[in-house]
Amino acid sequence: MLSCRSWIPGPPGGEEIHRAGRKVLRYVLSVCAIIAINFALPRLMPGDPVMNLIGEDAMVTPAQLAEIRAKIGLDRPVTVQFVSCLGDLLCGDLGYSFHLHGPVAGILWSRMSWTLLFAGTAIVLGALIGIIAGALSGWKPETRRSRAVTCAAMAVSCTPPYFLAMLFLAFFAFRLGLFPAKGYYDVLTAGSVVHHLLLPVAVLTLFAASRNLLVMRGSVVQEKNSHYALYARAKGLFGRQILFRHLLRNASLPVITLVALDFGFIFSGALFIEIVFSLNGMGTLIYDAILARDYPLLQGAFLVIALLVVTANIIADLLYGALDPRVREGGV
Amino acid sequence: MRAMDALKSTNRGAMALLAVFLCMAAFPSLIAPYGPSERSMPYQAPGPEHILGTTNMGNDILSELIYGARISLLVGFASALMATGIGLAVGLTAGYFRGALDEVLMAFTDVVLIIPKIPLIIILAAFLRPGVGILILVLGALSWESIARVVRSKTLQVRETGFVMSARCMGFPPLRIMASDIVPNIVHVVLPKFMLATAAAMISEASLSFLGLGDPSMESWGAMVSSAFTKGGFIREMWWWYLPPGICITLCVLSVAAIGFAFEAGEGTTVRVE
Repeated sequence: MLSCRSWIPGPPGGEEIHRAGRKVLRYVLSVCAIIAINFALPRLMPGDPVMNLIGEDAMVTPAQLAEIRAKIGLDRPVTVQFVSCLGDLLCGDLGYSFHLHGPVAGILWSRMSWTLLFAGTAIVLGALIGIIAGALSGWKPETRRSRAVTCAAMAVSCTPPYFLAMLFLAFFAFRLGLFPAKGYYDVLTAGSVVHHLLLPVAVLTLFAASRNLLVMRGSVVQEKNSHYALYARAKGLFGRQILFRHLLRNASLPVITLVALDFGFIFSGALFIEIVFSLNGMGTLIYDAILARDYPLLQGAFLVIALLVVTANIIADLLYGALDPRVREGGV
Repeated sequence: MRAMDALKSTNRGAMALLAVFLCMAAFPSLIAPYGPSERSMPYQAPGPEHILGTTNMGNDILSELIYGARISLLVGFASALMATGIGLAVGLTAGYFRGALDEVLMAFTDVVLIIPKIPLIIILAAFLRPGVGILILVLGALSWESIARVVRSKTLQVRETGFVMSARCMGFPPLRIMASDIVPNIVHVVLPKFMLATAAAMISEASLSFLGLGDPSMESWGAMVSSAFTKGGFIREMWWWYLPPGICITLCVLSVAAIGFAFEAGEGTTVRVE
């Protein structure tokens, strides 16, 4: 009976509910904080919120100003404003871009899918390459090849993504002429899109992979001294078999956490790379919004990216549970 | 053994590199061939008069490069100092007092950890039109969370040791115990984190200046790459304009990060992500 208890995952214990509750609370708090920041920023920042909203390139009379102020509800008490702001958010209304003359949600939505495609590919590839290369270099950290790879990963992770992108663009597109220098496609076919995206995806993958590699390497260096690795060797498994059958799964857990927490960072990197490659996605949108001081658009972009990051973290938590039975069964 | 030697030699290399950048930052007027506001013919290629050519405004690129070290290092170290201060305060309080205070502070830390930094800094910088001071404040206020976590977990260990227990028995106030008993025992985990925070802040500064959100009165390395990119230097393949500042950013960040990693390895404390 007693041994059965540890084999069959029973109903969740109090400890597990506590942990899960804390996780959920953390995400709820994060979303609240993100919404609160988004609400407070334009109201706390120096300058007239309405003027900030409209931007400097539109000419308005004082009467129009008052009209807009009343229309957005800035003359109402703050609490009422907050409630109506929440209501708008729930309806997917992120405000109006006076600069681009359109609703922010629609503009972001039309630009975001490309960026997500580009960044998503690079994040997945970067995680895979980082995990495998990191595992190999952590398995034999003394070899010259592993040291060279680690140094290269350090150097890449210390380079701003936009500079890496400029180097790639200058070399592969300008000098060698192998790739087109701008845009997502010439004609909307899969071949053209792949041809255009190869270089930016390569840059971002390199960047993401190098960060994951460093963590994976350290993780493998630690795990390979554990008892189960020793047991696998005693059982007669060869080096690579121990690494890929036994160590990989445990050692990649910190990388999954990193990938989730890094999502925002890599996504920001994607924005910079888009600017360099003149890709018509969210990065160029944000860049133009900065130049035009288009605050509603910037805020909307922040909100969307922040919510994406929270989503990525929730997915990572679920994945973590699937990979590590200790977490799933509420042990540890 | 070979790994230790390699580590030591990279560490020495990193120290030397950082020393060079510190010299550039401390005495730019002695090293730079031209002053920051001296102008000559714009868009010059490298030559005997201007070793790295000139910008679109006719500024000497080498001189700009040397003056740029100052802002990068200043923003990096100052904001990391601020982040370390906040991280120490939060981590010590949470780890020492535990209980409800710990829960609240750590929940707060987790929330700060999850909010994407660069997008938030971008809107803050766009609203505030920053100078160096505001840049340091914003970067410092947003990058303390990993330090707080490390400090907390270390404090949890140290607070159970005999000397902390006896200090408490003797009735020393918590603040005194933290300052004289706990902090000296966690410095070795804070120091590497401080260096890594500096490296991260320098990259953030370079990224913000690339977007034109840096201090407009000082030409930082990121701003140099940005102006080469937007003012035609990149398209015309004027590599002497955008390559040196980019390489300087990478080398400077790399030297600071390598020193941080060496501290971490030297202390034998491997800090895992979670």
